[in-house]
Amino acid sequence: MIQRIRLALLVVVMVIAQVALFPHLRIDGVAPDLGLVTAVAVAVAYRGGPEAGAIVGFAAGLLFDLFLRTPLGLSALAWAITGYIVGVVQGGMLRTGRWAAPVLGAAGGLVGGALFVLIGGLVGQDELVTSNSVRIVLIASAYDAVLAPLIFLFVRWALHDPRATSRIGGGGWVT
Amino acid sequence: MLVLLALSAVTLITLDQRGDTGAIQSVRDGANDAIAPVQSAVDGAFEPVTDWWAGVTESSSLKSENARLERELAEARTAARRAVPVERENEELLRLAELDYVANVPRITTEIVAASPGNFGSAVELSKGSDDGIAVGMPVVAGDGLAGRITSVSARRSTVLLLTDPDSQVGVRFSANDTLALAKGRAGRKVLTLEILHDPDRATDEADVGIPDGDVVVTAGLEGGVFPAGLPVGRVESATKSSGDLDQRVIVKPIVEVSRLRFLDVLVWPGAGGGG
Repeated sequence: MIQRIRLALLVVVMVIAQVALFPHLRIDGVAPDLGLVTAVAVAVAYRGGPEAGAIVGFAAGLLFDLFLRTPLGLSALAWAITGYIVGVVQGGMLRTGRWAAPVLGAAGGLVGGALFVLIGGLVGQDELVTSNSVRIVLIASAYDAVLAPLIFLFVRWALHDPRATSRIGGGGWVT
Repeated sequence: MLVLLALSAVTLITLDQRGDTGAIQSVRDGANDAIAPVQSAVDGAFEPVTDWWAGVTESSSLKSENARLERELAEARTAARRAVPVERENEELLRLAELDYVANVPRITTEIVAASPGNFGSAVELSKGSDDGIAVGMPVVAGDGLAGRITSVSARRSTVLLLTDPDSQVGVRFSANDTLALAKGRAGRKVLTLEILHDPDRATDEADVGIPDGDVVVTAGLEGGVFPAGLPVGRVESATKSSGDLDQRVIVKPIVEVSRLRFLDVLVWPGAGGGG
């Protein structure tokens, strides 16, 4: 229970940071997708994997959508699918290693950004489907990769169950 | 579970796109009002960090820009002195024609409190809202240069759709010749593209209108005047025509660079409230 509360708080804090802080910290006009990376981290770190990633992606995306001009639910859909995909794919991967977080962060940024643009195009946001969007998604995913280790750390803290520390390998999160 | 989430998201997207959902808009407005104090706090707390970041990412261009600005200021002072009698005459004529003169339109000065968080649009949040008299559709300017227009208003915040947003379209006129065009934003770009409007009544071959580099395009003020006429929008950066193109590709750099500003003025313009 306490883990879920901490996770919910973390999602809110990440979205607030994305809305209030990172617009000032853009690289070439592009800001990172903190909420998306949080969903990816949960999909990797949590026992529930794909499902948990999808739920967190949906919640974070929906919160973020409130502050965007694109239709409400677009980020929620894109990020939920991304969380799910990453959860499924990483199940068959080695989950430790120094490069896991940045690689998964970049992959999440690419998949999430591409889905956002493509779904946006499908629902009539034609202006999203341009060559320039490719550039934006690439920069954002690189930025996501840089921030991913930190966000993975936060997520591990949020999901850390004090009663389970003695269980070897039972937790299911990356160590 | 994913199917359930996807269905709810699709439902929301559909509802929001129909545009007749007051509920979604009021949730958005509420969220904007709720985050306002948080945003100010974050801005204050992280100012050293964001200032440092701006220094790192922009310092190389600042020196040359400073020189350029000083030169431009000198030119502008001269031009301003020359323009005084013309401006007075213009004001006089507009008054005779019972048109509003931009300089006489009441302004609400507001602070920019946030840039839009998304990567695919260009909008900023202003520190005032409907409590201060701001309404949807009002033009937003810096000095006399057009920055955008208000697209949503909550009690204490309002959102400006900038010229560079892909959703933004402004009717403009070249100052060199009176050709009309639509200035459109592009996702993630800081320049506008012009779509030249052809006037069938004109004899000249519009496709080959001469467009000098650096020409200033101003608002056309058509269609009931969503924007006042004559507000400077941008400067022509390039006008090229490759074989096979019907029209020239005209790129315009907006005069107002919102990312560098802290304050914007909202014009209480009577024509505001319409679309486009």
